[in-house]
Amino acid sequence: MSDHDMADETSDVELIARARAGDDRAFGALVERHQGAVAATVIGMLGRGDDADDVGQETFIRFHRALDRFRGESSLKTYLVHIAMNLSLNALKRRRRSLLRFVSSDEHDVDLPEPRVGPDGDVDANELHVVVQHAVARLGEKHRAVVVLRLFQDCSTRETAQILGVPEGTVLSRLSRAMKDLEAQLEPYVRSGAALPESIR
Amino acid sequence: MTDEPQNDHASPIESLVRAAAPASFDAGFGDRVLARLHAGRERAFANALNRQFRLVVPLAAAAALLLAAFNWWGARGTSASSFDAALNLPEVTLSSAYSVPSLYGVTVPTETP
Repeated sequence: MSDHDMADETSDVELIARARAGDDRAFGALVERHQGAVAATVIGMLGRGDDADDVGQETFIRFHRALDRFRGESSLKTYLVHIAMNLSLNALKRRRRSLLRFVSSDEHDVDLPEPRVGPDGDVDANELHVVVQHAVARLGEKHRAVVVLRLFQDCSTRETAQILGVPEGTVLSRLSRAMKDLEAQLEPYVRSGAALPESIR
Repeated sequence: MTDEPQNDHASPIESLVRAAAPASFDAGFGDRVLARLHAGRERAFANALNRQFRLVVPLAAAAALLLAAFNWWGARGTSASSFDAALNLPEVTLSSAYSVPSLYGVTVPTETP
């Protein structure tokens, strides 16, 4: 059975038990199953690249070290997202300290890329996703963290507040502010609704 | 993950952002995680060996000093130097070097009847 098959058929609890016993294939299946949630958090916070890949790997390594202590009080996905968010925020701090943001490809001061419009007048969905990800990346990190957790991860306000260690009211106000910023950035794409893919219209 | 009802009337911006969530890392991510896990284990093994070595070295040094002191104490009435005494080296003279019994510790009869 490949890791992929195992990821499809076996429950998290069973895979965790096997990983605890030293079964690397079971751990690989957990990685396969939950890498999407970790990717949405880490790439949402850091942008796509080596930094994000490194933090994603570190998230799973930390989880592996904590396997014996994982009691399953929260879902594995929530647990991993929590680790991923903390590591991403640490990575952003490191980035700030090393002034990397001034020499990296942070697009804060760059215009959003123009998505290509097909012959039928529709914007390619993938291109539009890139534009939206750029818009999210231009938010301040506190607002970005809320958007990543509430909208990318579908976390509740309470879960978001717990993960970020802030009151629920703060989550709501940051989300509201972030949505206003995103609206301002993405308005041209939404206003010309005809250019949006069917799924978003 | 959420315990809140999804808003069916989410704003177009909200729908746009939800749909744009990055779905995965670059291909081979799982392999990279496992490779890093294995590398970490090898490093941990080397560190454990290092720790054991640092634990054993002082003990071995202490045992060697104790043995040297014991040898030296036992040879204090002889003419052996302190160094030879500490290492429990036998006295070597020109005649003993040529003496087969003293070399091999066996008695060879030197006179014939």
